[in-house]
Amino acid sequence: MWDDMRAVILGGGDVVFDQRVRVTAPANAEDALNVPVMVDASGLDAEDEVEEIVVFADMNPIPRILNYRPAGAKPLIGFRLKLQQATPIRAAARTRDGVWHVGGVFVDAAGGGCTSPALAHSDPQWERHLGEVQARAWAPAADGGVRVRFRVRHPMDTGLAPGIPAFYLESLAVRDGDARDLGQIDLFEPVSENPVFTLEVSPSAGSRSLCLTGRDNNGTPVLADIPLSWRQSALP
Amino acid sequence: MKRTFAKIAVVGAVAGGLAVAAPGGAAQAAGGPTDQDILKDAETPGDILTYGMGTQGQRHSTLKAVNPDTVKKLAPVWAFSFGGEKQRGQESQPIVHDGTIYVTGSYSRLFAIDARTGDKKWQYDARLPEGIMPCCDVVNRGAAIRGDKIYFGTLDARLVALNKDTGKVVWNKKVADYQAGYSMTAAPLIVDGKIITGNSGGEFGVVGAVEARDAESGELIWSRPTVEGNMGTLNGKESTMTGVKNATWTGDLWQTGGGATWLGGTYDPETKSLFFGTGNPAPWNSHLRPGDNLYTSSTLAINPDNGEIKWHFQTTPHDGWDFDGVNEFISFDLKKEGKVIKAGAKADRNGFFFVIDRTNGKLLNATPFVTETSWAKGFDLNTGKPIYNEDKRPPNPVDGGGASAGQGKPIFAAPSFLGGKNWMPMAYSPDTELFYVPANEWGMDIWNEAITYKKGAAYLGAGFTIKPLFEDYIGALRAIDPKTGKIVWEYKNPAPLWGGVLTTAGNLVFTGTPEGYLKAFDAKTGAELWKFNTGSGIVGCPVTWEMDGEQYVSVVSGWGGAVPLWGGEVAKKVKDINQGGMLWTFKLPKT
Repeated sequence: MWDDMRAVILGGGDVVFDQRVRVTAPANAEDALNVPVMVDASGLDAEDEVEEIVVFADMNPIPRILNYRPAGAKPLIGFRLKLQQATPIRAAARTRDGVWHVGGVFVDAAGGGCTSPALAHSDPQWERHLGEVQARAWAPAADGGVRVRFRVRHPMDTGLAPGIPAFYLESLAVRDGDARDLGQIDLFEPVSENPVFTLEVSPSAGSRSLCLTGRDNNGTPVLADIPLSWRQSALP
Repeated sequence: MKRTFAKIAVVGAVAGGLAVAAPGGAAQAAGGPTDQDILKDAETPGDILTYGMGTQGQRHSTLKAVNPDTVKKLAPVWAFSFGGEKQRGQESQPIVHDGTIYVTGSYSRLFAIDARTGDKKWQYDARLPEGIMPCCDVVNRGAAIRGDKIYFGTLDARLVALNKDTGKVVWNKKVADYQAGYSMTAAPLIVDGKIITGNSGGEFGVVGAVEARDAESGELIWSRPTVEGNMGTLNGKESTMTGVKNATWTGDLWQTGGGATWLGGTYDPETKSLFFGTGNPAPWNSHLRPGDNLYTSSTLAINPDNGEIKWHFQTTPHDGWDFDGVNEFISFDLKKEGKVIKAGAKADRNGFFFVIDRTNGKLLNATPFVTETSWAKGFDLNTGKPIYNEDKRPPNPVDGGGASAGQGKPIFAAPSFLGGKNWMPMAYSPDTELFYVPANEWGMDIWNEAITYKKGAAYLGAGFTIKPLFEDYIGALRAIDPKTGKIVWEYKNPAPLWGGVLTTAGNLVFTGTPEGYLKAFDAKTGAELWKFNTGSGIVGCPVTWEMDGEQYVSVVSGWGGAVPLWGGEVAKKVKDINQGGMLWTFKLPKT
């Protein structure tokens, strides 16, 4: 199984198992539709820049979960995912030298997370809220990173629930006030409904807000401004 | 930790909100059909780039390998299932380009298929909201191709552009509000870098419109409402009003006047005119809207550069029978008394076959193509107006006489509202100089009722029951001579015909039947030469093209459309037909 995952998801390239890539998740998924996961590869970053993090779950019917390219951010991402059954959840962090550093945890799950219809569809008007964003950024901690969390309203249909085609956000990107790329996320179907992400970004000193853009596989755009409130004085 | 997020931005499905779409401008993308290729589609049998097999919509191929001598050997090469549980109403016409077939399916799906093997290249399933309101089944009639993009309309009234090689969405534009009853079922038309579409929603009091967008960016260039009093736009500003407000409509009824352009249009490069048919006026009860109700139940000639109406011809003024007028207008050269007239023809829902001068909209001839047209004795060729049988207009419910209070007296009228010919496109052969019209023989009991407009609700003000006119057949494929209006031959089919027609230089006419057969006829005599059972009813449009030196024929099979939904007594005759969703491809065996 691992050999297949390595070939399909990581392609070629050297692979090492590395405890510095920390994947945190509950040992048992209470809610298979919303399994919280935190991937933190910042232990690696000190010596070699992380260019991309690939997250996957070996036993999921759709193993790919997301790719994250933290161009102007810490190699850290928090999110929630759907699990169909007990599985390892792995994160592979590719450093500049092309080596994949793989960490992971095993999560037990009762199952069914990928083949259930989204809860959103209990409301026939779900489409009216599609792409709405809620977000907040916090003032920098001692090490200078700005923690930002955002939620995008989207059913994230996997295409595995009867009669409902795959319908999911496929890209999200955060830029700073100078339109500089801070981080890009490729999302796949197993990311939970109404995805919530936590990142730690480094916007330029002059940035008064962050810009979140993205779209789903039907071309629906996502667009939101996330104010850095502590940089916005009462009067301009 | 504070868990509440400040709600700081709410941005939903904003049209054009992002820079992720392709760069704007009419730049021609490499590797796909150009505007010139699209205009010359009818002359290039190696591909099918347009709905109608040419922008004029003649559905004629110059291929001859399959002909009355060889057609008996025509055999399937492969068949492709649309899969899933969505097996109904496959009214599509395939597009063929560079070894790939692009075909739309019911429920707003688009498939790219290897034309040689039938292997699927990719599939796009639009995620439709639960509240879509397609009046007449969840159909789609086909895609459009230009450059590296393939386009189609969805049931929630959106226009989607996808990369033709990957199936990835390039852009997705909301065309209208599906919750007001709009949808999009027709194939888009591409002319000179503009993608031109109509809208659907004729039974919900929408206002019909023709719109042109930049094919690269999807940005709106012009819009032309079809009901007088409504304002058009050009480059983001108001342009001109359609017609003259209140000239043929009373009060504010023009704001919910119907005239949906739900079948799309054709384009004639010789006169540089778009031809769009417009649907029935709303509501059906004609006593609520005195006047001709322009430009409903008409054909409009439109300038593709700016959306201005060049001329109009109204086939059913003051329509009281839902005769609609969307039927395709096909440009052709009418050779009569030694002259060649730039003409166009339309077989209307109202049962008359119109031949019109396409340079000015003047009526040249109007003849019935069905056995009974009870509503009118004929047309006055000088005025272009029908000679009504006033006693065959459904009476005003105010006068009473109906089955219950508020209902008008029922009358029997023919054709029925499903029309002497409905959406299914006819074909024209320049070889035989005949039109091949898929007609139906049915009438209806119809009565008017009181109605008021409510957004998103059906806006009819009428009740009806469809009845066959004959015991032994409803459908009739008829070859019509446009010079005289005479019917040269006919083929009678037990079930109503609901699929498009194809004709070839090989002296053949192809069409499908609800019984499941794709059939080939001798184009001159109407003799049935070949048939093949596709397993479900055919309501799509057959096409033919050449690949690797061989002639191929393709058709989608999958019963559905308006007949089983609205067909009254007729629906009982087709209730045993199984639904489906399959693309069949045929060729002659190699010798």
